[in-house]
Amino acid sequence: MKHFIYLFYTFGAILSCTCVHAQQVDGDLLAIKERLDAIIAYEAEMSLDIQADFIKMPTKYASVTYTKNQPLEFSSDDFILIPKKGLDVTMSQLFEHPFITVNRGFEKQDGKTYKVVNVIPNDDKSDYSIAKIVMDTVITRIVSSEIHTKKEGSFTLQMKYTDKKAILPEQLEIFFEMERLRLPFNFLGKNAKIDRKKMRSQEIQSGSILLNFKDYKIKYHP
Amino acid sequence: MRVLFWAELFKLCKQRRTYYALGAILIMEIIILFSAYYQGRSFIDLLLTNFKETFYFEGNLLNGNLLVYVILNTLWFHLPLLLMIIISGLLTAEYKDGTLQTIFLQPVQKLKFIAAKYLAAILFTLVSVVFLMITAFGLSYAIFGQGDLIVYLDTLNFYEPDDAFRRLVWAFFSGSVTMVFYAVASLTMAICFKDATITWIVAAFFLIVSSLLIRIDYGDSLFGEILYAKLGESWQYFFHFEIPWRQIIFNNGLLIVYSMVIMALGMFIFTKKDIS
Repeated sequence: MKHFIYLFYTFGAILSCTCVHAQQVDGDLLAIKERLDAIIAYEAEMSLDIQADFIKMPTKYASVTYTKNQPLEFSSDDFILIPKKGLDVTMSQLFEHPFITVNRGFEKQDGKTYKVVNVIPNDDKSDYSIAKIVMDTVITRIVSSEIHTKKEGSFTLQMKYTDKKAILPEQLEIFFEMERLRLPFNFLGKNAKIDRKKMRSQEIQSGSILLNFKDYKIKYHP
Repeated sequence: MRVLFWAELFKLCKQRRTYYALGAILIMEIIILFSAYYQGRSFIDLLLTNFKETFYFEGNLLNGNLLVYVILNTLWFHLPLLLMIIISGLLTAEYKDGTLQTIFLQPVQKLKFIAAKYLAAILFTLVSVVFLMITAFGLSYAIFGQGDLIVYLDTLNFYEPDDAFRRLVWAFFSGSVTMVFYAVASLTMAICFKDATITWIVAAFFLIVSSLLIRIDYGDSLFGEILYAKLGESWQYFFHFEIPWRQIIFNNGLLIVYSMVIMALGMFIFTKKDIS
């Protein structure tokens, strides 16, 4: 009888742990993950616009190809700057390793109320430490995210959709920060004016890159 | 007047030093092209160091457009120096050989004669700049191909190939106004000093002083805005993202006025001076 009671407690403990773990991943986020996981490949045309005071670049165009578990591929006739982080619109890297979520309530963006959760990885292999996900629980998709990586700082993503059913965004804005340019004077154009005070006060410069996607060709799991 | 002008052009074409000058431009360009290739690589590496942490790059920035831009930046001292030597020689050689006396034994007006010299000098300058432009584009594009141009002027500016080409051509045109100014100034110096060596030394000194004056920051003062040396840098404005056309037109217009004043002064001195 004593053994039976121990067995009962042990089984109960395991069961309760499993339940707690299951409860720790937000259901709405899991639904979004399921939609995103269904994508095995996609192709799209994209335009890139850099919005930063310290860089002037005309709109650039490129094609992007995604295949699950492969790095993104780009092709363009132009010279393009591609952000190292944030282009993973399927969030495959975010959901790659086990994670838990913490409910952070709701947040208003553009007059709409969205659910907010923090995603915390359970595995040391994950290259981010915490992420904030703002999601539309009605249409089951991510609206914005703020991802803090272990080695490469943090970055913020803002997504916009024109199609109500679409899972991948038509517009993605990636906010970034970088150290100001330090150039020896002989590399400066002769008409470049040096405002030393301004330069000192701008150790970190911020900007964003706006990506507009079109002509998505998405392949889903059969 | 027309006959005198054609005679001056004929003399220019017959002089060996004219071809030496064009050859020197070409050799300088080739040397600059190769040094620019290595300078350009470090230039791009340095400009994009901070970007490497945030971005991947797709495409080639070390291309013909960047090299033409580097050539433009380095030739604006060497080219006027060469032009000043050749153009002052148009008159100092005549003083040295005594051909001026022979010319004025005929019914030739001094004013028309010197005006023809100035016109020939201006034409030669424009031909030299066009020669430089064609060879710079030809060599750079043939060896390094086309691509986006990257320039740092307060902000890091990127220009697409067609836009870059258009801006570079405009820069050459704007720069030709500066070259004409130096050409006219050198002929006026030749009128004043007559001797070739003295004129060359004064011309070189004038160029050095001009390049030193460019480096001084005059802020927003009127002096800085109307100083000839600063006006001669207008071609750089074509590499601002928004081209300040008004400023460029004002600067080049004022430089043309300065050139005309120097030319008029030279003509006045020549007509009043004894030719011996």
